[in-house]
Amino acid sequence: MFGILKGLGVTFGQLTKKKVTLQYPEVKPVWPERFRGIHEFIPELCIVCNQCARICPTSCISLSGSRDANKKMRIDTYDINFEICILCDLCVEVCPTEAIRMTDQFELAAYSREEFYKDMHWLYDNHKEHGTYHALQEAKEQAAKEQAAKEQAAKEAGAKEQAGREPVAASEAATGGET
Amino acid sequence: METLHSEEMILNIGPQHPSTHGVFRLVVTIDGEQIVAADPVVGYLHRGTEKLAESLQYTQIIPYTDRLDYVAAMLNNYALVHTVEYAMDLEIPERAEYLRVIVMELNRVASHLLFVGAYLLDLGAMSPFLYVFQEREMIVQLFNEICGARLTYNYMRVGGVKWDAPPGWLAKVRDFLPHMREKLKMYDALISGNEIFLSRVRGMGVITQEEAVAYSLSGINLRSTGLRFDLRKKRPYGIYDKFAFDVVVGQNGDCFDRYWCHFLEMEQSLNIVEQALESIPDGPVLGKVPKLIRIPAGEYYTSIEGARGELGVYIVSDGKDKPYRMKLRRPSFVNLQILSKLLIGQNMANMIAILGAVDIVLGEVDA
Amino acid sequence: MFSWQTQPLTGLNFIGMVIGAVVVLAILLLVVMYLIFFLRKVVAWMQNRIGPNRVGPWGLFQSMADVLKLLLKEDIVPAKADRALFLVAPIIAFVPAFTVLAVIPYTAGHIFTAGLNIGVLFYIALSSITILGIVLGGWASNNKYSLVGGLRSAAQMISYEIPLGMSVLGVVMLAGSLNLTTIVQQQATDRFGWYIIPQIIGFVVFMIAAVAELNQTPFDLPEAESELVAGYFTEYTGFRFAFYMLTEFVYLFAISALATTLFLGGWLGPWLPSWLWFAIKTSAVIFFMFWLRATMPRLRVDKLMGFAWKVLIPVALFNILLTGLLSLLV
Repeated sequence: MFGILKGLGVTFGQLTKKKVTLQYPEVKPVWPERFRGIHEFIPELCIVCNQCARICPTSCISLSGSRDANKKMRIDTYDINFEICILCDLCVEVCPTEAIRMTDQFELAAYSREEFYKDMHWLYDNHKEHGTYHALQEAKEQAAKEQAAKEQAAKEAGAKEQAGREPVAASEAATGGET
Repeated sequence: METLHSEEMILNIGPQHPSTHGVFRLVVTIDGEQIVAADPVVGYLHRGTEKLAESLQYTQIIPYTDRLDYVAAMLNNYALVHTVEYAMDLEIPERAEYLRVIVMELNRVASHLLFVGAYLLDLGAMSPFLYVFQEREMIVQLFNEICGARLTYNYMRVGGVKWDAPPGWLAKVRDFLPHMREKLKMYDALISGNEIFLSRVRGMGVITQEEAVAYSLSGINLRSTGLRFDLRKKRPYGIYDKFAFDVVVGQNGDCFDRYWCHFLEMEQSLNIVEQALESIPDGPVLGKVPKLIRIPAGEYYTSIEGARGELGVYIVSDGKDKPYRMKLRRPSFVNLQILSKLLIGQNMANMIAILGAVDIVLGEVDA
Repeated sequence: MFSWQTQPLTGLNFIGMVIGAVVVLAILLLVVMYLIFFLRKVVAWMQNRIGPNRVGPWGLFQSMADVLKLLLKEDIVPAKADRALFLVAPIIAFVPAFTVLAVIPYTAGHIFTAGLNIGVLFYIALSSITILGIVLGGWASNNKYSLVGGLRSAAQMISYEIPLGMSVLGVVMLAGSLNLTTIVQQQATDRFGWYIIPQIIGFVVFMIAAVAELNQTPFDLPEAESELVAGYFTEYTGFRFAFYMLTEFVYLFAISALATTLFLGGWLGPWLPSWLWFAIKTSAVIFFMFWLRATMPRLRVDKLMGFAWKVLIPVALFNILLTGLLSLLV
């Protein structure tokens, strides 16, 4: 009897707790940075190395390319079949130029099978709409800048210090080398 | 007057039935409400993972393992990469091993939570199911942050893990542990003392130790009979020998013990995560691995303690980049054998209680 | 005090009675609709969810949408079913559920109440007929799950009818009447106050038996989803299914109203109008049942019978003895 009452207490206590339901179509979930959603594709970056098609475990990527006037490989067609794509991220992992990446777009439901065949243009539109590529590049540039600034500052500080008390610094460096 | 004529009835439970946990079919012969014979039929979710693996590179097989036991995919990931690493004799960076342990034990907690919820749902209580999903959601969100997916993680790689933990992730895990412990107490208060629940699971579906061994059960089904067999202790793989934890065993081998072992094992897993968080070193997360992974010709088998028992991967290699043959020892499939023995002579209502406690995941049964 | 029985059966009175019945039916349907809404909200809140919130403000029209959907659905009769019984079973189940409401005194005015002298007996007798509808439905569906569900239901409801009746006896002994109106009036002047105080054992037995009679969690074996898919109404669709649902929820309301009348002083209460007191008390009883529903796992079928015969009936009998002794001594 006591156990039942304890259980009743627990459920009653939940009455006033904050509700966890997400009002989905109105409120979208916030996905973390690494979320693996539908791909984005940036044709200019693709070098048609075919690595993504080869690594794909379900062979859902098919692509073709040709050489342009400058003898550079240009992508002609790039299709992903989302009927069989398992969003495993391996294609993104092998891509040397980050031409294919994953977005946080996750809504794939459609009324017909044809809609699951996403071509290059669709994927590029997805890039424009949901893409994270540019944000990533900016972040990278920012980080590189900061890193450079830090290094610069460190260098300057080091130079100042070295100019101030050279013999001590030298001996420190020597001991550091020994250990 | 003629004597009353009664006959047995064949009841076809599943493959579409609310509490067979997927597409599992059970043909039971019942006499009134008593089960006379039970015949499990499997294979409705068969996708031929083992055969598919023969035409895939080792890296490409990893996403397929996600889909075996889909509530504990991290452990499946690990089972595969562990065998490949063992075969190649690879050195794994320390940090990667720690990250693996953290995600695996968290995944074990998530899997056991789901068991507790789904089992209570089978027994007719709906609320625990919805409660456990809140904590499971937290774990799943943590995984989402570390590997970008909520269910099909594809996180482990041969030689390490795909990504290092994002900034602040380890702190989040640390915050999660006390919360989870708190919640376990709440579930305990809600479920474990409930007399109705106890009357349904105590002394129900008893497996003896001899039977468990004879049927080659593993995991909690085996430990609930009192046999202290946990591969993390018996044959420590990875870095499990560095952590202090107890192997939870039951006494009677009944449904309650199986439920209770799940409960206690969650606490042990949390302890392991806590220890791992304390001593996780810095460093790389992916070791030196050749670009094309080739296993030297030969046969290799290693197994790990999965969420449901001994999860083993057996690889026959002919030296190429794809396995010649891969066999998965799926604990759910093996544990399922005992069902037709356990069910005989039971009531219809007990059928669900016993089936639920054996804790199968159909993705793993059918592979 | 107004009473239908003292009136001659003139044409005008007859029309009045019919109008009264229709009004009760209309109110009842509304009450049932919002009972379902209330159930879903309470259970959702206890499970940290929001519950229905899309149809209308705060989801208030959700039940109406559901009813409309059920009415628009195709009425499927399985080919191998016993057609005549299959069609008539839900009606057999529903009619007594509505009829028993005739004796419930909602307000001090009794406009909608037949002040039967054997009100309690009437309620218990009629509510037993519903079992017939459930068993017939289970049998006629020609489905194994339905059959098992129907048989379980019959066994359960017949078993729990006995402690239910016995637990009421204590109240009848105290009030000295089977008339529900009189029982409420007696509670106004009784020295112990409402009968929940002298009849606490009876109340507990009554509530347990009532939950079992309603096939509510933890006694929801006849429709045990995880075992029997949906029990006796597995094969029912559309408005025939709606009839079974309606039966269930009308009984939920009726038995809560009966509990209010017998143990919680019916419409009695200070300040507020009598019908409001009645509504508040009934809602509280209903809330308790939903609360149970959100917490409990399901009993096992063999334990269920054992519980009724070995625990509830002896306790109810003891309660009768105790009541008799008390009224002799005190």
